[in-house]
Amino acid sequence: MRGLNKYFSIAKASLEVIFVYRAGFAFNMIGTVFYVVAMFYLWQTIFLGKPGALGGFTWPEMKAYLIVAFILNSTMTWFDEWQMGADIREGRVATDLARPIDFQLKRFAEATGPVPFELVSALGIGAVVAVVFGGIALPADPVHLALFIVSAALATLLKFAIIYCVSMVAFWTTGMEGVSNGRMAVQNIFSGALIPLVFFPDWLRGFASVLPFQGMISTPALTYLGAMDGPTTAFMIGTQAVWVVGLMLFGRLLWRSAIKAVTINGG
Amino acid sequence: MPLIEARGLTKKFRQAVKEPGLAGSLKHFFTRQYKDKVAVDHIDLSVEAGESVAYLGPNGAGKSTTIKMLTGILVPTSGSLIVDGLVPHEKRQQNARKMGVVFGQRTQLWWDIPVIESFNLARDMYEIPAARYKANLAEFTELLGLAEFMNIPAGKVSLGQRMRADLCMALLHEPKLLYLDEPTIGLDIAVKDSIRKFIHRLVEERGTTVMLTTHDLGDIEDICNRIVIIDSGKIIHDGGLAALKDNYARDRVIHFQLARPPASMDPICAGLPACDLHANGLSLSVRFDRFEFAAGEIAAAVMPHVEVIDFRIDEPEVEDLIRRVYLGQLSLAAPEPTADTPESAVAAEV
Repeated sequence: MRGLNKYFSIAKASLEVIFVYRAGFAFNMIGTVFYVVAMFYLWQTIFLGKPGALGGFTWPEMKAYLIVAFILNSTMTWFDEWQMGADIREGRVATDLARPIDFQLKRFAEATGPVPFELVSALGIGAVVAVVFGGIALPADPVHLALFIVSAALATLLKFAIIYCVSMVAFWTTGMEGVSNGRMAVQNIFSGALIPLVFFPDWLRGFASVLPFQGMISTPALTYLGAMDGPTTAFMIGTQAVWVVGLMLFGRLLWRSAIKAVTINGG
Repeated sequence: MPLIEARGLTKKFRQAVKEPGLAGSLKHFFTRQYKDKVAVDHIDLSVEAGESVAYLGPNGAGKSTTIKMLTGILVPTSGSLIVDGLVPHEKRQQNARKMGVVFGQRTQLWWDIPVIESFNLARDMYEIPAARYKANLAEFTELLGLAEFMNIPAGKVSLGQRMRADLCMALLHEPKLLYLDEPTIGLDIAVKDSIRKFIHRLVEERGTTVMLTTHDLGDIEDICNRIVIIDSGKIIHDGGLAALKDNYARDRVIHFQLARPPASMDPICAGLPACDLHANGLSLSVRFDRFEFAAGEIAAAVMPHVEVIDFRIDEPEVEDLIRRVYLGQLSLAAPEPTADTPESAVAAEV
């Protein structure tokens, strides 16, 4: 464990940076609050005419889904392709490479550092929104809650792994903003952040099920609600784990081959 | 065994070739064209422990590329490179533990958090034992005058302060090898001076091996005992400062102040056939090869023809010499690394 100590320190320093940019962080949060409130009104209107369940969701369950999606979307917001792309393009990664640290672990530590703070903020805001809108469905039992926590943790790892892999595009292109926006658009649709996947037509749902994105929102949210039976839950969380490991390794592979080919600018 | 041993070390970059304008951009989008640029071209270099080497060359000569290979950041295209028993890019992290590196144009400090926290981060990254960390930090803080801005974020300190803090950060783990890539760029004279003194002390007292790239010749004269010049990826000089002067800075100029203009230059010229004479009113200057003539011989040849009031001698300046090398006015055609005989190969083409 001693070898990991350095990464804890990096994570800690990264958390400190958030406090330096507290105004930016606060505005970011306020922005997401507006977004989640808008989503609530939108879905409230949809549910208004339907007394029962919609796509298997009751209104309290749908509210819970939206809150879970909001909280998961609020973590690791300080890690994106744009930032890492700039580091790659402008040769700042050179300083990372001149140190006895693993590049991916360092990035992971940087991305994870602020998560506890983001989580606390998002939980606070989420709780207020939930109360204002008349409460949400809670997990049926502690087992579902525990499984949800595992699934949510995997969702965060998955987010890191996906962004890390996509960031490697910076070795070949300079338009990282487009790449980042593209990833976000695909992710918003296929993770179930905008609309639960159950509302998708069959073909699109089939497509979503072979992509990693469902593990970012849909799987933890459905686990929270206990909407899947035991074996399905286990399978879905297992799928998340497989994607995490696979994409982490893929990211390492991409990094290694990219760095071999790379011209660090300013040579 | 040398600390750094490079044999035929080469790095080629693939550069995208793009024609100007929208048409060029479009064309580039569909048919990428590349050409190879050889940044470092079969260099041989060995550096012993304790040496302090100035690694010079004009912009784009391959200096930084070499440093990046030595530090394990870049993978060489071909050739062999061993630094303290390791191939840097294969054992990047192990290599990184043994070296410190300062890029003058790029800080290693965390921009947003106080300087001291970057140092603490270095302590954890390099796993420096607490007692050693404390002792080193105290010493460097004292020598580099870091106390006054220790608690200020790196992004808010001046360039001179930042450089000093960067040096400290690179040295807290007591590296055997210190790479400095333009460490005094943009700094004022006082800061330059304190940094040079500090590095000099490091070499003298801790025996740290230093490899330094710079455009500032003051850095070289204060710190380095050996000069390696690279141009277009090839090493064109490797030796001491004195050897560089002896080999390539052979010309001295003697200036005479005369009582009255010379009646005719012809007799003086006839007496000094191998020299370059310039007369302008009451001054007369003679450029001569200091290995061919003694200054006294020149004076003896001039004095009988004119009345001399005063004279002075200009020694060759390294700065001027290196400038001429960079400009391509002086070609150091010295394929042998030991070009210490004055006869070997100088072509001053000016």
